[in-house]
Amino acid sequence: MRCSPATSLQEYARGVAGGLLFSLPLLYTMEVWWTGFNAHPFRLLAYVLTTFLLLLGYNRYAGLRRDANFLEVAIDSIEEMGIGIVVAALMLWLLGRITFDLGANEIVGKIVIEAMTIAIGVSVGTAQFGGQGDNGTAADKRGVSNEESGERQIGGDDDEGAGKDRGVEGDAETEVNFGGQLVIACCGAVLFAANVAPTEEIVMIAVESSVWKLIGLMLFSLALGAMILYYIEFTGAKELVLKGDFKSVLFGALVTYAVALASSALILLFFGRFEGVALAVGLAQVVVLGVAATLGASAGRLLVQ
Amino acid sequence: MSKVEKNWLEWLVFAISLVLVAGTLGVLAYDGATMGDAPPSVEVKVGAPQERPHNFIVPVEVTNHGDETAEGVLVEVVLKQGEEERERSEFEIAFLPRRSTRQGWVAFKIDPRSVERMEARVLGYEKP
Repeated sequence: MRCSPATSLQEYARGVAGGLLFSLPLLYTMEVWWTGFNAHPFRLLAYVLTTFLLLLGYNRYAGLRRDANFLEVAIDSIEEMGIGIVVAALMLWLLGRITFDLGANEIVGKIVIEAMTIAIGVSVGTAQFGGQGDNGTAADKRGVSNEESGERQIGGDDDEGAGKDRGVEGDAETEVNFGGQLVIACCGAVLFAANVAPTEEIVMIAVESSVWKLIGLMLFSLALGAMILYYIEFTGAKELVLKGDFKSVLFGALVTYAVALASSALILLFFGRFEGVALAVGLAQVVVLGVAATLGASAGRLLVQ
Repeated sequence: MSKVEKNWLEWLVFAISLVLVAGTLGVLAYDGATMGDAPPSVEVKVGAPQERPHNFIVPVEVTNHGDETAEGVLVEVVLKQGEEERERSEFEIAFLPRRSTRQGWVAFKIDPRSVERMEARVLGYEKP
């Protein structure tokens, strides 16, 4: 749907606000700047491509245009990355982290590493900060109004979005929704865990923790996930949550925790935290970061979808 | 359904974004493909000494010609008169990324211009 440039500008501004909101801690973290020039260019390349996949997933299942086809989703994702790069460059320059006398690879590295989280923030911000009341523009583009959201399925396949899935059987739709949930949980986990992942503190805690403390952290994460998803009636949880019997709670919490652990491992891998580290310490880091990732995969997921 | 409708601003933002993203991917791919795996190779250059109210300072330019970052680069400058060592100063650079240059100063009590020569070298650095 075509809207006026003024409306689009507003939408981009929302995106910028979201991008800054979610990535501010990373813009102010030394270890992130360092990774910008320490990481091999191919690792940064892999980071960009992974982020792009996450953006595609988020925009498809939870983004602004749930009724969008693949081309539109891809265009949106590229726009969000572009905005991320511009915002990252501007902020890093204002913060004095990039100057014109630095080597090109250092400048590019720093911008890329910051831009990717900003891009995810832009995506979330554009989708979430839209006023539902403003002439229905945001709601129109979503293809869903809030009143309908009660009927909304887990993956956000609402009336129009489900259009192309309409021919599909019911259980196939549930499957898509489950997949969509995983993608959004992954986005939430990355968005939140990335804020603490690059810091030295994670390594420090991992090295100093006893096995029992680590098991304690795991149980705590599982309980946290179960509580947020099924017990405290967090905003949006009602539409998402399946049935509250013991088996599905256990299943939901386990899957959420698995997504959180996988996301933690991925982020730590990217920040080079497994290099020259014993397996036990690497695993301990995953568990320590897993607490933040669980929070993202449960509460974060409910907030960003 | 497959028709994408956008206003001029959206197309503009998309075009710029596409250029930026493609450019970034291109730069990273080119950089990764052309970069070797040489360990840090650090060159130290000293500039002209300057007199300050309380001491003398000498600007030092440190360049890493290698393909890896050097962390905690310790640089030493010695003032020598013949074989005799008159004064020694050092400073540390937290990070010296590959193919990049950082600047600093060493400070001396005696005038570096009064001795025969200044010898600058890097003492060591760690892998980040």
